[in-house]
Amino acid sequence: MPSAAIIRVQIESTLAQRVPAALTLKIKHAPEVFASGMAEVDAMLGGGVPRGTITEVSGPSSTGKTSFALCTLASITQLGNACAWVDVSDALSPETAAASGVELQRLLWLRMSADRRTKLADKPWSRLEQALRATDLLLQTGGFAAVVLDMSDVLPQHTQRIPLGTWYRFRLAAEHARTALVFLTQSPCASSCATLSLRCEPAAVVPFSSQGETPLFERQQYQFARERNRNESSPFLQRKPAQRVNWSAETLWSRVR
Amino acid sequence: MYAVLHPSNFFAQAAAHQSPELRKRPFVVLDGEPPTEMVFAANHVARSQGVEVGMTRLQAEAFPEVTSLRRVIEHEHKAHATLHHVACMFSPRIESVEERPGTYALDIRGMDLLFGDVGQLANKLRRSVMAAGFLANIAVAENFHAAVSLACGRTGVSVVPSGCEAHAIGQLPVTALHLAPEHEATFAAWGIRTCAELAALAETDVIARLGQVGKKLHSLARGAWPHLMFPIEPSFEAGLVERMELDFPVEELERLLFLLSRMTTALLERVRGKARAIAALRVVLRLDGGAQHERTVRPALPLQDTATLLKLIQLDLETHPPSAGIVGLELHAQSAAPYRAQHGLFLPQAPEPGQLEVMLARMRKLLGEQRVGSPELTDDHRPNAFRMVPFEPPPPRRNERQSLSTPVALRVSRPPHMVGVALANHTPVRVFWDGAAYAVRDAAGPVRVSGQWWSEANWCREEWDVRLENGTVERLCRIAFDPRSRCWYLQGTYD
Repeated sequence: MPSAAIIRVQIESTLAQRVPAALTLKIKHAPEVFASGMAEVDAMLGGGVPRGTITEVSGPSSTGKTSFALCTLASITQLGNACAWVDVSDALSPETAAASGVELQRLLWLRMSADRRTKLADKPWSRLEQALRATDLLLQTGGFAAVVLDMSDVLPQHTQRIPLGTWYRFRLAAEHARTALVFLTQSPCASSCATLSLRCEPAAVVPFSSQGETPLFERQQYQFARERNRNESSPFLQRKPAQRVNWSAETLWSRVR
Repeated sequence: MYAVLHPSNFFAQAAAHQSPELRKRPFVVLDGEPPTEMVFAANHVARSQGVEVGMTRLQAEAFPEVTSLRRVIEHEHKAHATLHHVACMFSPRIESVEERPGTYALDIRGMDLLFGDVGQLANKLRRSVMAAGFLANIAVAENFHAAVSLACGRTGVSVVPSGCEAHAIGQLPVTALHLAPEHEATFAAWGIRTCAELAALAETDVIARLGQVGKKLHSLARGAWPHLMFPIEPSFEAGLVERMELDFPVEELERLLFLLSRMTTALLERVRGKARAIAALRVVLRLDGGAQHERTVRPALPLQDTATLLKLIQLDLETHPPSAGIVGLELHAQSAAPYRAQHGLFLPQAPEPGQLEVMLARMRKLLGEQRVGSPELTDDHRPNAFRMVPFEPPPPRRNERQSLSTPVALRVSRPPHMVGVALANHTPVRVFWDGAAYAVRDAAGPVRVSGQWWSEANWCREEWDVRLENGTVERLCRIAFDPRSRCWYLQGTYD
């Protein structure tokens, strides 16, 4: 053993100019995460949404992307952090956000304007371009714990035309600003720039409740599949988390019942 | 050395200053609510005819030749401003004597180089006051109070050599010391009529009988009571103005930024000198053709940084550009105590105030005024009623997470999309939207909602929650029927 240790020191000192600490195990720090507040989803994500990286949540309509994002923002704002929601389709419901527990005073809502320019310019591109510029400005300013870029209603053919360089720039800026950047899209677009990629899939259909006189929409079942998690190989995670998770959300009026 | 300027009977002089034709005629100034008006001031001619201050209006009107005027506060302010202006020409350090209206004390130390000796200065001062339309007594003395008493008690110009104050004011009646009524009565009872008689009393005896006031009055009578001068200073806030005229109209904002930068820096330097910061900047642009363009930049926190202020002005002017070429610039600043915050290592993350302000201004330029901010729910029955408020996050603080269940989020369609709906048995069975037909698998409703039935803006609709299916695509939506327009709309999608 002592001879092995001596050889190791010799090799490291020889290579020190080119590769520092070549044979020493690099200590990987535990990723800083924001819990989403949903126990089953957090368990799958290894604690929550990672900070300083891009998280991509993709899937078709009505698969729980917005509910998940609002729930995550609720946890983050309740920690006292400021957050931003870049809304490409101007679709955020402040009522739902408040019901999820988001502190609205700490939420900067940027609504892309469809009616400001002439009708000719009101193409998805003009709003996407505005959203990308706004996100860029937010990341450059810094200080926001989480920024959600909501492109849920933008068609995949439009999001996929965004140059890859944009996502690389966003990744670096998010890392520098220690901001959790969350994309909500219909199909994955950030490719390898996203540290965490989640796919939302249709889950088992919960029929509307028919206990009263008329049927009532009360709850919805969602399913998340983890496509990529770069933090997964962290030595701090003892057990390999599940690849898929089911979770449910209920309507505001069912809370009252 | 102090020179005191005292216009005797100031209120009558102020009234006559506005109507010079009254000077030779008797007149009174009335004050109070009709019909209980009283004589507030009267000129010398009127008093020689028997009019006294404190008479009622009816009593004053009993004198047929006397003209009655109403008291106008603005005229008095103008008279004050005129006298102050005259005093400013003779000394930079001026104090207004509060208890005697219209009286100003000038610190004339070192003014002999400009105006000659004190006698010449006093005469020049009196001539200037007369040229401005007032008749004033001037007194010059080493002691402030002695000069004030002399100016009030002796007509014309009085110059007291240093050390002779007690002798100079000795012949004045004790009332020239501005006594309280009870002390005036006391001195009358004692048979003390002049300042010299008061000064001749033993100080300890006066103090024993009148208390500490006695000490002050005794010193005043001797012309030895000290005074700390509080000169009138121009208002700091009113002076925070920078103006610039341009030779020819300028239309490009970029060219103006050089000037704005210089003006902002000059304002900031002045503000920093008082350890303050700029809380608001009002930019007034005088336009070609006589119009004015005015914008106010009000950062969330007072700033001491030229670059940030300049950027905010630039973004604001780019968002609201002037309609014509600019021929003049004015910058009015409002100062406030600078923002100081104690940061902590373990406090949650928050944007830096200066950068946040610039970023919000950029966002407003990019997206529009009403599209940037925080949502605030309004007290309204209409679903999803909210208003936009400026984004001002409260200081970082941790809240306990409330253990609420996760709600289904609704993505609102703004404005609502019109959809086609096929009904069967009053229930939606098919929905036609965006060129596609969806079968309704589940429908919950109708939920009838309405509001503001008392006004023109009344609204009413029947809402349905529907699960739509089109081959592989499934969506959960809220659709609504508007009975007034007989149309179906997509209110939003649950996601």
